[in-house]
Amino acid sequence: MSWLSRRAFLGSLAAAVPVATFVRRAHAAAIHELTASSETLHALGAAILPSELGSAGIASAVNAFQYWISGYREHAELVHGYGTSALAYAGPTPATRWATQLDALDRAARHDGSRSFSTLPLERRRAMVRSQLSGLTITGMPAVGRAQHVAIALLSHWYGSSDATDRCYRAAIGTQQCRPLATSARVPLPLAGGRG
Amino acid sequence: MTSFVKRRVIESDICIIGSGISAAMVADKLARTTTGRIIVVEAGDEAPSLGQRPALRARYLSYGESPWPDDHLDGYEMEGPLQSRSMQVGGLAMHWGGVTPRWSPEDFRTRSLCGVGTDWPISYDDLDPYYQEAEQLLGVSGEQGPPAMDPRGSPFPMAAIPLTHNLVQLKEWASHAGITMWSQPSAKNSRPYDGRSACCRNDTCTPICPIGAKYSPDFTWNRLRASNRVTLYPRTLVRRLVMEDGSNRIVSAEAVQRGSGTSKGAGTPVEFRAKRFVVAGGYVWSAHLLLLSRGSRAPDGLANRSGTVGKYLTGHRNQQAFIALPMRLHPGMNGQHSLVTKQFMRAPVGDRYLRHDLRVWESSYGRGPRLRRDDGTLMLGDDIMRDWRERTTTGVARVRAYYDVVPDRSSELTLDTSRKNAWGDPLPKLAFRDAPESAALRGYSVETLNALFAKMARAGGGTLLRTEEDDAKGWQDHPAGGCRMGSDPATSVVDGWGRTHDHDNLFVVGAPTCVSGSCANATLTFCALALRAAEEIAR
Repeated sequence: MSWLSRRAFLGSLAAAVPVATFVRRAHAAAIHELTASSETLHALGAAILPSELGSAGIASAVNAFQYWISGYREHAELVHGYGTSALAYAGPTPATRWATQLDALDRAARHDGSRSFSTLPLERRRAMVRSQLSGLTITGMPAVGRAQHVAIALLSHWYGSSDATDRCYRAAIGTQQCRPLATSARVPLPLAGGRG
Repeated sequence: MTSFVKRRVIESDICIIGSGISAAMVADKLARTTTGRIIVVEAGDEAPSLGQRPALRARYLSYGESPWPDDHLDGYEMEGPLQSRSMQVGGLAMHWGGVTPRWSPEDFRTRSLCGVGTDWPISYDDLDPYYQEAEQLLGVSGEQGPPAMDPRGSPFPMAAIPLTHNLVQLKEWASHAGITMWSQPSAKNSRPYDGRSACCRNDTCTPICPIGAKYSPDFTWNRLRASNRVTLYPRTLVRRLVMEDGSNRIVSAEAVQRGSGTSKGAGTPVEFRAKRFVVAGGYVWSAHLLLLSRGSRAPDGLANRSGTVGKYLTGHRNQQAFIALPMRLHPGMNGQHSLVTKQFMRAPVGDRYLRHDLRVWESSYGRGPRLRRDDGTLMLGDDIMRDWRERTTTGVARVRAYYDVVPDRSSELTLDTSRKNAWGDPLPKLAFRDAPESAALRGYSVETLNALFAKMARAGGGTLLRTEEDDAKGWQDHPAGGCRMGSDPATSVVDGWGRTHDHDNLFVVGAPTCVSGSCANATLTFCALALRAAEEIAR
C-alpha cells in the first residue's frame, strides 16, 4: 500500500468510523502528507497563484501555507465576539479534507493519462481545479480554515498576506507589520526589486 | 461525616472588586493619595505578560485564535447581549481599541438643554479635571479640535497619532462636505511614554497590541503590585457583599478562590473585610453583585432602595456607510485609526433630538481580492490579481455615526434563576431598550444620517455603496449604566461621587454609574468618573 493511498484509506476510515484514535491518525497522516510530501500542492500553487511571484515566490507561498497547516490547533479558543456570551473553538483540522482533494486532482490527472497532477501543463491543471470547484458555492475569500477546497485555502492564505496587498497596490504598505508612525503621512513607497 | 473547608479572612482598608480599567484608575489614585491597605479581587486569571503577546498576536492573525486564552469563567453563557465574555486581570481593556474621546458638555444636561433623558448630577466642568488626569494616566495622544466643538482644560499629554496618507486625503474630502475632522484621540503612544514604547502601526489594537504602545490596565497593576501598594487576588469570585448587623455599612465580601481543577463549584471560601468597598465590575458584574447580595434586610439587593439597580442600561446606537471615492487610497496603513468630529454632538442636528459623532476610516470594503467576477466566472492564476488591481484604482471610506439614545427603565439586568454558575448563583440576563422618546426617533435618525452620508459622497464625487443600521433590539455599543448616579435616592443608586445612597462605605465606579451613554466611545469617561470617585473614597 502506497503512502498516498494509506492516507486516503485513513481519511475515509475517519469519516466512516468516527472513533477518536482513527480520526487522530487520519488527521496526522493528512498533515504529514501536506507538509512533508507536497509535490501536488506545489503544482497546485503554480497553477493558481499569480505568475509574477515566480517559482521562488510560489514555493515560498506554498511553504507558508504548509506551515499554517502544521500549526493548526484543533479546539483552540477563538477570538471572542462582541455582544455575545457564546464562545467558539477551532474545529477539526481541515488538512484531512484538503489532502483528499489533492488525491482527487492526482487521480483525475492519471485518468487523463498523465503520471500525476504535477506533470500537467498549467492550463490543464487549472481546468481540473475548476472542475473540482464547480460544485461548490464560492463567493469571496473565506477564512483559510473554513475553505471548502484546498485550492481556495491556498489562495485565501496568500491573498490574506501583507505581501499580496503590497503587490496589488504596487506599494510597500506593510499591512499589520511594525512600521514607524513618522512615515505614515507619506504615500507608501513603490515596491523594491520589481515586485508587483 | 461532615467536612469543613476553612474560610480564609483577609482584612484591608479598601477592597476593590474587579480589576478592569476603572478599578485600575481607582487603585492608582488611592495608592497615591492614601496610606491604607488596598486589595483588589478579580474573578478571572492573570493576563499573559507583555512578552507573550507577539506570539499570541501571531496566532490570532493566522488562525483567529483568542490572544487572551482562557480569559473567561466556564458556564457563563447567558441570555442577552453581553459586551464581552472576557474576564481576567485587566478586564475588557486588555483588548479595547484604545479610543478615548471625551464626551460633550451637553451629554450631562440633555433634559435641561433638549428636553429629553435625565440630567446627570455632575457637569462636564466637574469632570474636566478628571478627564485630564485620566488622559495623563492612560497616556492619550490627541489633537485639539476647534475649541467650540472640543472644549478641554489642558493639552493632551502627547501629540496626536499622525494621520496616515489615507486619512489626510479623507480629511480633505470631509472638509468639502463642510465637516471639520481631526485625529481621533487614542490611548496609544505617539512617542515613548510611561515606560512603554511608541505605536508602530501593528494595527491590531483590538484585540491585542503586541508591544504595549496601547494602554492596558495590566501596566498599572504591575506597577502597583511591584511597589507593594496593592495586593491583587486573581481567580477569586466575589459572590455577595454582607451588611453589618445593626447598620447599613458593608462589612465583608464573601468570595470563593477558584480551584485549579474543573470540578463544579470547587474552590476555597474567602472573606474580605474592609472599611470601604468599591464595586468596579463594569456594567454587568457590578449590578449583578448588588442584586446577588440580597438578604432579609435588603430583599431586592444592596443599594437598591430605589429599585434601580440593574435598570437604565445605556449605550449608543450607530449607523454606518461605505462610500466609494475617486481617490487612490492604500488600505492597511493604520486601519484602526480614524478621523473624528464633534460637529454634530454639541447641539441637536435638526428640530428633533439627534446628536451624533462622526468618524471616518480607510476601508477595503468591496475592494478585497475575490474569486468570482460579477458575472460569476471563477478566476484563478493571474486573473485574481489583475481583477483586484482594476478594482483598487479608487478608494473606499467607512463612515460611522454613534447617536445618543435615552435608556428606558426596562433596559435592564436581572437575575436569571434558570441559569446558574458553578456555585449556584443566578447569572445575569440582559436586555437593552430605548426609551419611547428615542424609539420614536429611530427612523428619523437613520434617515438623517443616511442623508448626511449621501451628502458626503456627493461632495467627493463619490458613490454611496452601502448603509448599515445596527440591531434595534439587541446590542448597544459601549454599554454602561445599571447603577446610575443621581441626586435623588429615589431614582438613582449612587450620588455624583459614586457613593451608594444606601450604604455609606460602598461605592460603585465607572461604567455602571453612567446616566446616559452619549454618542462617542465611553472608556475615558468611565476612567474620569472612577478617578473622581477615588477622590471621595480617599476622604
